[in-house]
Amino acid sequence: MQETLEDFFKALRGSDLDVSLTDGIEAGRALSIVGVADREVLRHALGATLAKSLDDRIVFDACFDRFFSYDLFRKASGRTNDPNAMEVKTSESQDVRHEEESAPRVGKGQCAGAGGGGGAQGLADMLLKNDQAALIKSMNEAARQVGVTDIWFFTQKGQYIQKIQEQMGLKDLNQLINGLAGNPQAAGRVTNLKLARRRLFEEVRNFVEKQLAMYGTAPTKRLHDEYLQSQKLSNIEQRDFQRMHEIVRKLAKRLAVIHSKKKKQETRGQLDFRKTMRRNVAFDGVLFETYWRTKVIERAKVIAICDVSGSVRNYARFLLLFLYSLTEFMAKIRSFAFTNTLVEVTDVFDDMPVNQAVDKVMKEVGGSGTDYGQMFRDVEDRLMSKIDKRTTVLILGDARNNHGEPQADVMRLLHQRAKRVIWLNPEPRAFWGLGDSEMKRYAPHCHIVKECNTLKHLERTMDDLLRVSTAAV
Amino acid sequence: MKSLYEHRFNSVDAVQRECASVKYIASRQIATTVYLAFNLQKPILIEGPAGVGKTELAKAMSEILQVQLIRMQCYEGLDESKALYEWKYGKQLLYTQLLKDKLSELMEGAKGLAQSIERLHSHDDLFFSEHFLEPRPLFKALHEDTGCVLLIDEIDKSDQEFEAFLLEVLSDFQVSIPELGTISARVKPLVILTSNNTREMSDALKRRCLHLYIPFPDAKLERQILETRVPGLSDTLRRELVAFIQSVRTLDLKKQPSVSETIDWARVLLLLSAEHLSVDLVRDTLNTFLKFEEDIAVASEQIVGMLDKAREEAALAHARNA
Repeated sequence: MQETLEDFFKALRGSDLDVSLTDGIEAGRALSIVGVADREVLRHALGATLAKSLDDRIVFDACFDRFFSYDLFRKASGRTNDPNAMEVKTSESQDVRHEEESAPRVGKGQCAGAGGGGGAQGLADMLLKNDQAALIKSMNEAARQVGVTDIWFFTQKGQYIQKIQEQMGLKDLNQLINGLAGNPQAAGRVTNLKLARRRLFEEVRNFVEKQLAMYGTAPTKRLHDEYLQSQKLSNIEQRDFQRMHEIVRKLAKRLAVIHSKKKKQETRGQLDFRKTMRRNVAFDGVLFETYWRTKVIERAKVIAICDVSGSVRNYARFLLLFLYSLTEFMAKIRSFAFTNTLVEVTDVFDDMPVNQAVDKVMKEVGGSGTDYGQMFRDVEDRLMSKIDKRTTVLILGDARNNHGEPQADVMRLLHQRAKRVIWLNPEPRAFWGLGDSEMKRYAPHCHIVKECNTLKHLERTMDDLLRVSTAAV
Repeated sequence: MKSLYEHRFNSVDAVQRECASVKYIASRQIATTVYLAFNLQKPILIEGPAGVGKTELAKAMSEILQVQLIRMQCYEGLDESKALYEWKYGKQLLYTQLLKDKLSELMEGAKGLAQSIERLHSHDDLFFSEHFLEPRPLFKALHEDTGCVLLIDEIDKSDQEFEAFLLEVLSDFQVSIPELGTISARVKPLVILTSNNTREMSDALKRRCLHLYIPFPDAKLERQILETRVPGLSDTLRRELVAFIQSVRTLDLKKQPSVSETIDWARVLLLLSAEHLSVDLVRDTLNTFLKFEEDIAVASEQIVGMLDKAREEAALAHARNA
């Protein structure tokens, strides 16, 4: 059973569910307690030890069904087509699996190494007799022999199909067919064998595809994620938006966790002596009631302003995406978008799912004719009174102002009033200040200025932010 | 009271049966997890919507195992002085005041400060012994001679610091108290944590627990639950009621009615001695299972349609049973 379990862990990891060593041990212990007699109990037992959240559990259930299903070679077995076949088969196949584990490893040698007549005869017999259990057993052994659990990409499919078939004795089967081909008496047998060979191929292909789905999902996904993270945000295509959302969400969540600390922290063991003395005057100065020092932690207020104009069109979606994710996790955040005048979008973000919200903002606020000057005037008129030393101002934009008045003095005021001013610019640093970019003028009035056009940048910026915010507490 | 682990569950079915005997209808999944938790001696982390019987499970377990249930409600700001132990400062102070005479007696004949302190030392850390320790739920749970069921309710409401603090308790069933040293559980308690998922629990905590998600029950299970919890209800009404609640859950509501609300509603209907669900009856009693004004507005628009559907399904369920 050990090997089956290990393969199952591998399949789970392949489906993007982390199975740690201790989880594995626990699952093994759970298995030894409940046994394999009841499929549902087994499922719940493994699920309780391996899946750690509802999302995990869904992944787990899907993987469990795929891993412990044995519908291969079934279509052919027309004789056992009673309606109960399915239930019987699942329990039966587990026995098969079980037997296979306990059985001494001779089958492998016979099928593959022993070659000659034995292997071919074996395979041919199995196919002609439609011996489902034996075929599955043989295929599983062959699969293990060639290490199908290492399959990662669909390009490896053909190679594995071939390898497994060979391991099961395809060569000998071919020889057998070729040998009989000249013999007119065996014509029927040859046709049957050819048909069987065809079916074998189909089944093995089916099997390998399933294995790929099981073991290959996570590595491919990981590779894709890595690609997404290092690509310029402007180059990422629409269809990856959902995936990006997930990645960005994770980032935003990490940021939010820092901010979600409780407001007051009791520093245990530090007596607030003055308070204690004052309160205990009533007891003749005997200190009956004690008061402990507390530390007040403020929840940061965040004002986020995002440029959605034409010049940053390609980035705007992702900046908005990031903003959206932030609003999901932080309570006190107000989001604004602008092309020229400032528009509050907090409510849109609160009410709509991400795709709709981003589309709506892009449609209603986006456009051409960026005017940072107007935006800053709006900030001064409408927001300045709300900005105090607890507020963090986050500006996302390229600072391309169409040669308009930059209103840099508003930035200076912001810098003085706010706790932090952070500017994330999607343009490379080298372009700042070139053409109509006013970045060089704004930059001195920011606490943090970063180039930010890939997810990696975003992540690094977040790390910096977190470090600053923890230090500031 | 007998010890926790004198009780034996022979199989998953046995768990299910014994739960039923204390009027808790456990699904196969719940029973399996409990069976494992009991045998592996691991805590269970239960997630799920409010009111599906997360806390109830702990109560049922304590009843089955015939041990005490120690409950710790988590909230923001909960710290170890409220969860684990606290020194009875007032009592300590009172004792020193009362024992002043005794102390001067004790000190009699001592020359100088050094000698007095020496003498005090020979009397131990009297004031930091268990006499002056106020045990809180966690401490009590570890100290219980017969073991107990420890329910840590709504762990998601507590702070992350507290969650980290719990790790030692959950994995080794021991706690460290600076003045007393490490205290290990006399009998490992059966620990049940519940979470409403207002925030994600840390991986470290999850790894130490068996995970159990309790969803809303399906119609069949819900009928069974009603049957044991509100026995006076007629068969037809029960079927209609469950079918109706099930279809209410498909609506887009702020707070979906869960099992506890179903039970409440059933009790109300029983009090009103209703035989069938009618539009007026439902409209008048809607507030027993919907707790938000908006939800009631949404649901009351569709009562007629849902009621028809519920009747149909109830009839279908009846036919299937027969």
